[in-house]
Amino acid sequence: MDLRSRLLKDEGKCFYTIGSAGHEGNAVFGKVFHYTNMAFLHYRSGAFFLERSRQIPGTTPLYDMALSFVASSDDPISGGRHKVIGSKKLNIPPQTSTVSSHIPKAVGAALSIDRAHSLDIYERELADDSIVLCSFGDASVNHTAALSGFNTSAWVRHQGGYVPIVFICEDNGLGISVPTPENWIRDTFANRPGFEYIACDGLNLIDLIQKSKEAESFCRKNRTPVFLHMITVRLMGHAGSDIESGYHSLKEIEVAELNDPLLHSARILIENKCLSAEDILTLYESSRITVGQVCKVAALRPKLSSGERVMESITANRKKQSAPPVPNKKDRESVFGKEFDRLKHPQHMAKLINYSLSDIMIRYKNTLVFGEDVAQKGGVYHVTANLYEQFGVRRVFNSLLDETSIIGSAIGYAHNGFIPIPEIQFLAYFHNAEDQIRSEAATLPFFSDGQFTNPMVLRIPGLAYQKGFGGHFHNDNSLSVFRDLPGVVLACPSNGSDAARMLRTAVREAYENGSLTIFVEPIALYMIKDLHQSKDGKWNFQYPDVDEEIPVGKFKEHGKGNALNIITYGNGLYLSLQARPGIEKKLKKKIKVIDLRWLSEIDIPKILKAIGTCENVLIVDECRRTGCHGEGLLANLVSVSPKPLNIKLHAAEDSFIPLGEAATVTLPSRESIIENALELVNG
Amino acid sequence: MKERIVVICPGRGTYTRETTGYLKSFGQSAKDRIHFMDENRKAAGLQTITELDASPFKAKVHMGGEHASPLIYACSLSDFLCIDQAKYEIVAITGNSMGWYIALALSGALNHENAFHLIQTMGSMMKDKITGGQIIYPIVDEHWNRDTAKIELVMEAIEKAGAHVSIFLGGYVVIGGEQNKLDYLHQILPTDGKYPFQLFYHAAFHTPLMEPVSQKASKMLPDSMFQKPDVPLIDGRGTIWKPWSTDRHELWQYTLRHQVIKSYDFSASLTVGMKEFCPDKLVLLGPGNTLGGAIGQLIIQNNWMDINSKKSFIDYQKENPFLISMGMEDQRKLVC
Repeated sequence: MDLRSRLLKDEGKCFYTIGSAGHEGNAVFGKVFHYTNMAFLHYRSGAFFLERSRQIPGTTPLYDMALSFVASSDDPISGGRHKVIGSKKLNIPPQTSTVSSHIPKAVGAALSIDRAHSLDIYERELADDSIVLCSFGDASVNHTAALSGFNTSAWVRHQGGYVPIVFICEDNGLGISVPTPENWIRDTFANRPGFEYIACDGLNLIDLIQKSKEAESFCRKNRTPVFLHMITVRLMGHAGSDIESGYHSLKEIEVAELNDPLLHSARILIENKCLSAEDILTLYESSRITVGQVCKVAALRPKLSSGERVMESITANRKKQSAPPVPNKKDRESVFGKEFDRLKHPQHMAKLINYSLSDIMIRYKNTLVFGEDVAQKGGVYHVTANLYEQFGVRRVFNSLLDETSIIGSAIGYAHNGFIPIPEIQFLAYFHNAEDQIRSEAATLPFFSDGQFTNPMVLRIPGLAYQKGFGGHFHNDNSLSVFRDLPGVVLACPSNGSDAARMLRTAVREAYENGSLTIFVEPIALYMIKDLHQSKDGKWNFQYPDVDEEIPVGKFKEHGKGNALNIITYGNGLYLSLQARPGIEKKLKKKIKVIDLRWLSEIDIPKILKAIGTCENVLIVDECRRTGCHGEGLLANLVSVSPKPLNIKLHAAEDSFIPLGEAATVTLPSRESIIENALELVNG
Repeated sequence: MKERIVVICPGRGTYTRETTGYLKSFGQSAKDRIHFMDENRKAAGLQTITELDASPFKAKVHMGGEHASPLIYACSLSDFLCIDQAKYEIVAITGNSMGWYIALALSGALNHENAFHLIQTMGSMMKDKITGGQIIYPIVDEHWNRDTAKIELVMEAIEKAGAHVSIFLGGYVVIGGEQNKLDYLHQILPTDGKYPFQLFYHAAFHTPLMEPVSQKASKMLPDSMFQKPDVPLIDGRGTIWKPWSTDRHELWQYTLRHQVIKSYDFSASLTVGMKEFCPDKLVLLGPGNTLGGAIGQLIIQNNWMDINSKKSFIDYQKENPFLISMGMEDQRKLVC
């Protein structure tokens, strides 16, 4: 297959040539590990895929893989969107360019198995006694995401938790052109606490079978991590575009080729009198012809031909399910306890989100809340207070201090029927883990044609305006990292009532449609009760009825005035409503303030309809000007509006947030909004 | 270069009034082997294959298992031996239902003697009284495209009746079960042309009702009869049995246990045959070509070579047929 992919590339018919040559030992793992064990695979796992397919009658792995080489829309896993090794039936979620970003989620999937069993999660997909496989190369081991995954496994194991995972390190001694230091893998992992280290010879089928059976049995029985170290060779360079002679001598290349696992396998078969040399050559030749023919036919199959078709899978979900009924009074009373009577009293946003989380956890038994300090402490801002007591440690738990681990684990849990609601403690902390959303979670439905999804609601307290607290890293005011993620929903409520209802929507969408929502909660508004003056209580809201939701994309209009439209969200909404009386007084006219609520899927025609005949539009965005959502909104409104708009963006300066009294000087304020509004309207 | 073909062996019900005399016309290529079968049947007090083929068709005689099975095997074997192997390379062999036994024979997994013994034994299991029956029902529209609503309807009906899927047969599903359950299905399934249609002289093959037959056969026919095939075989689940990796005990177990009592998925077999071997042609052995429709429907279902309707299949077949049915004189000439 590897050879054929190179030949097809020369004909301009194949678009991916990173191959599995030298890693054929993988076939043994494909045979020894039952297909019910979910496998997150390295991109050199062609042999694993072929052999695992043989466990399920009726599969067509050669043809399917050929379709992926030629990016045909018939490709059953990605629908022609990428050459990935994946299959729903075979429990292989597709990975793309797996440097090692799949390792944290593989660990999450491993963590999910026993938890799903003990919680008796109805929606679970993995067998209770199953384990998880995760393969990667020797160079990838050094990657931060890999280290996060290993560390998480060891951290959980250290506390006696179950992590049934077999890490398979396919050690060919090279990271593209850079040699892995001699014995680096062995010396790093052989004595790592919490890991059972097993080395095997990737050129020796018999050793591979023995060692992988040992690994399988150990992991399954002890439910602890095994590090299976397969030493092998890499053949035919890193990929089709890699000219190995540029960094290896001819002799070095020849030595690797002499160690071709196929040749070693042939030798073993001859030595053990299984086959004769002639038999092997006949078998090789017939396989060569079959593979050639299969690739030839696959190359003729249709390709994706329109943007529309390509994008069909961005939010696709083939596992539709209806949400469970909303919780009844009895169940709620039992969970809320004495707090139940207080639900009817107006409260600030932190409390209403907290109530909402309780109701969500009653309704969706497969939800999990985890993150740094979210359990006993109830979160830095007590948003998750009482949940630990209400739902127990199996559903509400503290994670280790590693955002990559938190999000990666969430993705893994979501592979096994859970709806994780992880928390990243502060927005600025998200950035060290953003790849887990950007490259992994956001892309899974796309690369699997909706066969795999990782539904979740990622809560992130964030944005600026905390008075005198935190400096930049607790007040980060940029959401631009979420602006260009196709399919990912971004929510940013401005008050408790909206937050509770939007959170319910996000979880229901996750449950029913497999969606992924980033739920940004403006920290500065968590405890706010008043709007215009002290003790007016106008930012305290009633907890909405348990069945109320706000659909994704639905914005809210405050006021009906026509002199000016302010479009904003989060803290900007709060400040704009504070500014409204001042603006109206000066203009002697009424204005309208629009709260976007959802920053993805902004419906521009509907916004324009809400703007109506008004010509003056002020966009207030609390985030840094460059890359803020207001920037895109302005461009979209101008380009779509049939009439000229007198429009302006009032955003935060392109600055980081300082500490103390200067904390808000670079941000929009009530006063600056009034000033900008008047300037816009009066010219 | 030789053209690569996947050979398909037909199942029960393919030797009909129309194919009477098939062996007389085309049996020369397997003369010796038919002679062996005739001698054995004679010794067992049975009418010979040759006599059966030469005598006027009587459903009660020709369609009974103890006669139909060896008769069909003889016809298929003759056709198989007639294939010009200088021109065609057989890359895989598959079959439908009883066609699996023939496939075992033609691939070398059973030698001729053992194949005859197995086929004669299995065909004679319900000589006196067959267990249950089979009905056939379409799951495609008039263009031979899969009709999801029909599939749902028939699957629900099967469950409701307590019957079983006997064979996934391209655009049809063959349903097996006790006669009262089949009668009930006759009542609840909407009439679609001549369907639901009862396959006379057919038992509830490939269903749990065959458990006693399977148990008995497992005792009568040892695994030592089996050997590795010379050519890849595709079974009634879509599993490929390769010459070097076949375990004969597993092959025996599949043949006498699994496929006897569980659904036979001919649709999966042929799909695997097309996709994993990408042959230049499919060759359907005789007698007759009743399986041709199901094969056409599977070609359509897989949008193979962009064939996506009955019309496009028929058009394609006119010029340079992808499916060669040896039961059709003009197509037979292409391979013999």
